[in-house]
Amino acid sequence: MTEGSTNGAFLRLEDVHKSFGDLHVLRGVNMDVNRGEVVCVIGPSGSGKSTLLRCINLLEPPEQGHIYLEGREITGAKGAADDEGGIDFVRRRVGMVFQQFNLFPHMSAMGNVTLGPLKVLERKGSDVRPKAEALLKRVGMEAKVNEYPDRLSGGQQQRVAIARALAMDPHVMLFDEVTSALDPELVKEVLDVMRELAEEGMTMVVVTHEMHFAREVAHKVFFMDGGVVVEEGKPADVLENPQQERTKQFLGLVLEH
Amino acid sequence: MDFIREYYFDFGIMGDELGRVLEGFWFTIQLSVLSGVASLAWGLVLAVLRQLPGRATAPLRWLSIAYIDVFRGIPLLLVLLLVSGGLSTLSSPIGGEVLPEWLGKPTWLGQTTPFWYGVFSLTITYGAYMAEVYRAGIEAVPGGQMEAARSVGMSHNLAMRYVIVPQAVRKVIPPLLNDFIALMKDTSLVSILGAADVVFVGRAIQSEQFNGSGLMLGAILFLLVTIPLARLVDYLIARQQQKTQRGGAPAEASEADQQALGGGGGVTT
Repeated sequence: MTEGSTNGAFLRLEDVHKSFGDLHVLRGVNMDVNRGEVVCVIGPSGSGKSTLLRCINLLEPPEQGHIYLEGREITGAKGAADDEGGIDFVRRRVGMVFQQFNLFPHMSAMGNVTLGPLKVLERKGSDVRPKAEALLKRVGMEAKVNEYPDRLSGGQQQRVAIARALAMDPHVMLFDEVTSALDPELVKEVLDVMRELAEEGMTMVVVTHEMHFAREVAHKVFFMDGGVVVEEGKPADVLENPQQERTKQFLGLVLEH
Repeated sequence: MDFIREYYFDFGIMGDELGRVLEGFWFTIQLSVLSGVASLAWGLVLAVLRQLPGRATAPLRWLSIAYIDVFRGIPLLLVLLLVSGGLSTLSSPIGGEVLPEWLGKPTWLGQTTPFWYGVFSLTITYGAYMAEVYRAGIEAVPGGQMEAARSVGMSHNLAMRYVIVPQAVRKVIPPLLNDFIALMKDTSLVSILGAADVVFVGRAIQSEQFNGSGLMLGAILFLLVTIPLARLVDYLIARQQQKTQRGGAPAEASEADQQALGGGGGVTT
């Protein structure tokens, strides 16, 4: 696919469907993300937000529809679903951070961050380590370089997980409710790291329940419900002046607290 | 009572025959360690084959599953007789000398042919048992680990090698040790092939002296090794549980895992 067919959108989803058995989770999602844009996806549990992210990096290949990354289609027979080369193309460009951190427990923070560059990119240890140290410093973890995950708080683990994803030089970062498993007092340190990343121009797709973060950092907000995008637009429009009834209901419930 | 003491615990006989029995036990130890190491490696190969993803590798998966089913279901004694009978016949004129002598009647490293038949048979059989233990360990690694590995660009094979298997092996060291204890006891079956193990020596003493003290001495030697090993297994399990209780996010699934593994790691003999 050429760049022209996606009108220059960095990441484009067209009519993406995904089912798990009888459960039709995504029912035709459309989404455009431009380079350097921060997109927040909000919506009730079970609306398909996480599945959407997992489709984008092909952890769950969609059954129907098209996903284009940097102008190349990554779905379908020509794309990637069954083709390691295509999956490679995607995973080397897309970094992901998970709700449960998923750090490798048998490795130190340094080991977690360097594993991808060492084994996937096959870079030399002497090149990888200084960069990993810089990344850990960037997420405020320079004092814990040699600690193992079970000695780190949730917030610290999540910051290491962000550094681990950044170590692969991703072109776009996916965040899957990365603060939902954290104690309240640890949320800010992770959001601050994400805010800095956004300011540096990283393209980000953020599934979140943090409405303040969405309002302040996002360029675009997508509200999902029932496996489709119900409403999208600038955060000020979607969050403060929603047009759709379902969006109003959801925000009414969320913002009361 | 006197009969029991004299028949099983004649310390005079035990003292006189100690050298011979120890020699037999040394044979048992060598056979156990070599077969144990080989089974650990072979079992891991089988377990990893069984976990291969994708359609193209399905035949390998089926082969590995069929292999494990077959060799977990056949008595070791039968395997021993089939292996020794087959290999010795195939390398002799009756069998058309299909196999070269060095393979059909191996005497590598100065060990006897029954020793090597024992190593083959124990590895074939215990590889299948240990593959199942590894499988339990691999399945006990939370799914998020594979996803995280894949999301930093690792292939399935890289993820298995650097992320999944290292965690899985740590989880299953105690049940693997249990299998090793069982393997060690099962080495006694090679005596039927005329291997000079501790049982063979004990039986020789029994028939020469009409006394079971040689066999009892062998039993005592076994206990000197197997009881400390069993305690070591207990200690390792207790340490793992302590670690789980101390918390740490990646251990979230571990408590359930421990229970699952405790069941899967039972000795099979």
